[in-house]
Amino acid sequence: MVVYPDWAALAPALALAVTGLVLLLIDSVDPDDSRPGLLAGTAVVGTLVSLGYAGWFLASGTGQVDGGTGAISLYRDALVVDGMALFFQAVFAVVTALVCIASYDYLKERAYQAEFYSLVMFAATGMAVMATANSLATAFIALELASLPSYALVAFLKHNRGSVEASLKYFLIGALSSAVFAFGISLVYAATGSLLLADVASALSALDGGLTGVAAIGVLMVAGGFAFKTASVPFHFWAPEAYEGAPAPISAFLSSASKAAGFAVLFRVFTTAFPLDAAGVDWMLLFQVLAVVTMTLGNFAAATQETVKRMLAYSSIGHAGYALIGLAAWSGGAPGSVENGAVLGASMAHLLVYGFMNTGAFLFVALAEQWDVGRTFEDYAGLGSRAPMASVAMTVFMFSLAGVPPFGGFFSKLFLFAGAVDAGFWWLAAVGVVNSTLSLYYYSRVVKALWVDDPVGEFELGGTPTGLYVAVVFAAVGTLLLLPGFAPVIETAQSVAAALVP
Amino acid sequence: MNQWIAVGALALMGVGIPLGMIAVSSLIRPSVPEQGKSSTYESGEIPTKSAIGIQFNIQYYMVALLFVVFDIETVLLFPWTVIYQPALESGVGLMTLLFPMLVFIGVLVIGLVWAWRQGAVKWARSEAATRRKTEHNS
Repeated sequence: MVVYPDWAALAPALALAVTGLVLLLIDSVDPDDSRPGLLAGTAVVGTLVSLGYAGWFLASGTGQVDGGTGAISLYRDALVVDGMALFFQAVFAVVTALVCIASYDYLKERAYQAEFYSLVMFAATGMAVMATANSLATAFIALELASLPSYALVAFLKHNRGSVEASLKYFLIGALSSAVFAFGISLVYAATGSLLLADVASALSALDGGLTGVAAIGVLMVAGGFAFKTASVPFHFWAPEAYEGAPAPISAFLSSASKAAGFAVLFRVFTTAFPLDAAGVDWMLLFQVLAVVTMTLGNFAAATQETVKRMLAYSSIGHAGYALIGLAAWSGGAPGSVENGAVLGASMAHLLVYGFMNTGAFLFVALAEQWDVGRTFEDYAGLGSRAPMASVAMTVFMFSLAGVPPFGGFFSKLFLFAGAVDAGFWWLAAVGVVNSTLSLYYYSRVVKALWVDDPVGEFELGGTPTGLYVAVVFAAVGTLLLLPGFAPVIETAQSVAAALVP
Repeated sequence: MNQWIAVGALALMGVGIPLGMIAVSSLIRPSVPEQGKSSTYESGEIPTKSAIGIQFNIQYYMVALLFVVFDIETVLLFPWTVIYQPALESGVGLMTLLFPMLVFIGVLVIGLVWAWRQGAVKWARSEAATRRKTEHNS
């Protein structure tokens, strides 16, 4: 049997980074973007290679506890490859692949295509590294690597005022929250003398009172930095603007992959570095409050929107609230216990399902933008008879996002809420269920517009963009396949989540 | 006594001294209002234009960005060159010593080649800018 060097465990992230560089080289040889198919193809192949590595490692037990090699620490514990990292890397790779396929049509006739794909690749690399970050320093660098290309990508339509304005808002709030995050890290470092998550945890446990306050403020500020990336209250203001102004594939990328990346690093840092009994602040209570406020605010705001893209943006904030339950109900019981893994794993599985259905929904919006039918609910009226296949896919996404039984989103929410109840937080689950019921209202408005309402005026659909169609349909198939295939997903997610705390 | 009191006292002094100096000087100085004192630079020269609306050529930014990248590269390269020989003598393999730095420089070179091919360092002449300059000089 071939023995691979340890750094080979980073293959999913390396594949994305190399793809980004290869795209730059292609662009150097051919600066005029005369072969868009080659660029999109390279990007898609790169993400699929990354997905292949992540899936292979997950299946063969690399970095996992049961039947595997155990977590692989690299570069003096700065990075760690374990089941959770691989799980999230698979999510990022899937979403990035869908976004790249869809972008082929979206970017037709536009300049700077190679730059677009390579920025997407570099952002995805940052996300993949975020999932493996085992020190606050690497977490910060990876977060910036994921954020900086995102700012540029949001402003990609640079002659569109909305796009540029969205990017500026995104950048300003991002800069603010980065500053808060870095300040938090410095306070944690001041109190514990280490940036490595495991060392921070042990130093916090041994802290003798005097610096507990400093550490607690640091923990709160670090939470603020992650709240930006996951688009949770109180750093959610950028999300509706950025998602609405950005090119729709980028909205899909940010609201699915970027959010999942934020959760990946949030889960790891809080479960391994800040032990509940020694962090100086009851962060479970913090996340309970944040989860309730985030999902309620997101869903209520979504219900009042008139444009579909903005509705999806607010619904994305609402889903951040659901995913926060994973940490809010994390019981902090015996290390590696089943209860701890259950709700955290359910949250991870929800992020995977969300990756499919939310990316799909935003790509449908991209399709509608491509057809130039308009932005509001009314403008979507009658699309069901004109573009039945895409509309069926959109219906699947909407019902799945709402959590209606026969779709993937139902199971992930079921496990999430059941996990919260098992952990003793029935009220969190209750708030989640009430919010899901509310969300059914605004999601079904889209479905009603698609199938029931009559179109306001005559309109022509300009052809069928193949790439966008493939991506939308693939996302729908993924959402549906996660119905029978949910058992292995939730088992993997829960076992890797249980293994998170050694 | 709580040690934070010292920090608070320092902050109090830090804010108090400048505020006190401003207050005292405003009390004892004579007031001679004069138009020249309210001009922007108060240097004897009358400002001719507002600073708002002056635009830099965007190409300076491209060059500056490339400069920053390779400036940072030097920061990382320098300590590496210092430890290179001793590390080699104490038996660190060439692969662990040289290869990562080659990868690092390689990544930057790809970026530079890309920027070069995109024309980031080609100084394009803008018609509008040239016209403005000649108008200004004449």
